[in-house]
Amino acid sequence: MNITLKCFAGLKRHLPPHAKANAAVVEVGAEMSVHQVIDLFKIDREEAYLVILNGVFVCPPDRDSTILQENDTLALWPEVAGG
Amino acid sequence: MHFSENKHREMSDNDLLRYSRHIMLPEIDFEGQQKLLAAKVLIIGAGGLGSPAALYLSASGVGEITIADHDKVELNNLQRQIAYDEDSLGQSKVSSCAHRMENINSGINVLQLDEKLTGRQLLSQVAAVDVVLDCTDNLSTRFEINQACVAHNKWLVSAAAIRWEGQISVYHCGSQQSPCYHCLYGMRAAGSKESSQNFSNSYSNSYSNSCSNNGILSPVVGVMGSMQAIEVIKLIINKGDSLMGRVLLFDALSMQWESMILAKNPDCSVCANA
Repeated sequence: MNITLKCFAGLKRHLPPHAKANAAVVEVGAEMSVHQVIDLFKIDREEAYLVILNGVFVCPPDRDSTILQENDTLALWPEVAGG
Repeated sequence: MHFSENKHREMSDNDLLRYSRHIMLPEIDFEGQQKLLAAKVLIIGAGGLGSPAALYLSASGVGEITIADHDKVELNNLQRQIAYDEDSLGQSKVSSCAHRMENINSGINVLQLDEKLTGRQLLSQVAAVDVVLDCTDNLSTRFEINQACVAHNKWLVSAAAIRWEGQISVYHCGSQQSPCYHCLYGMRAAGSKESSQNFSNSYSNSYSNSCSNNGILSPVVGVMGSMQAIEVIKLIINKGDSLMGRVLLFDALSMQWESMILAKNPDCSVCANA
């Protein structure tokens, strides 16, 4: 199934070459969890601390149990804590 | 609403002229400006975020601003910390920043805390104000500020920036559905209730993410600190929609914003039972 994967800041390097404006439509297996998709693209779970599924933050404890659906949008951001 | 106990002061002719561009805005008007003049705000951190926030809130006429920081101004601060100039080098940040704020607006009261706010002192300072701005640069301080705001049921306007990225949100545990900062970053809090669970092992180590280690584009902190000032003003005048329950993320390199809904974590060790 297809989902839209968005990666921001330093995570952008994980997007496939056909990505445009920080986003790419990518094919993933059916019933994959958020963590499985992150692992599929060889993204460091810790670096992608902010995980946003269809505009909603997914807490770390829920990332194994949250299953993606066709046409979902998964956005990944690094932690931001400086100032 | 929440700040109504503060005494309003009469505006002079000079005040009316100074704040005329605010008063023209129907959402502010005389009443809103009086609320700003009566408000008390605590800014923790007088660096890249705190500088623009402090200057804009001073110019806006927020009546009492306490600014806390324990650092002195260093040369590498001048790239982004716009409250300071070369004459400030070696001076305490709070005294230099307060001087700049008072030069912008002598009609407000600026209080200086030249110390690292922590423990009881942090709690008492938070208790004394209407809104707290977290302009600090590390997670451990951010967690403590969040806990103090939850304990005293205070509004927290929290922003952060690093590299080309920024983040901002508003928290208020007095509002039933509001998450707290710990709901977002609790997995980074070593030793927390959550981090003892298996699923958090990969999130709870000492992942370093400070400007001194990673760099920061100067105007990014300007954007985020200015947005903190906007959110504070909106809270004080009780107009518009605050960022409570949402986190805005900014990627300056691609010039994109992302709005993220952040729900209250029912298992949060800080706010779940607050």
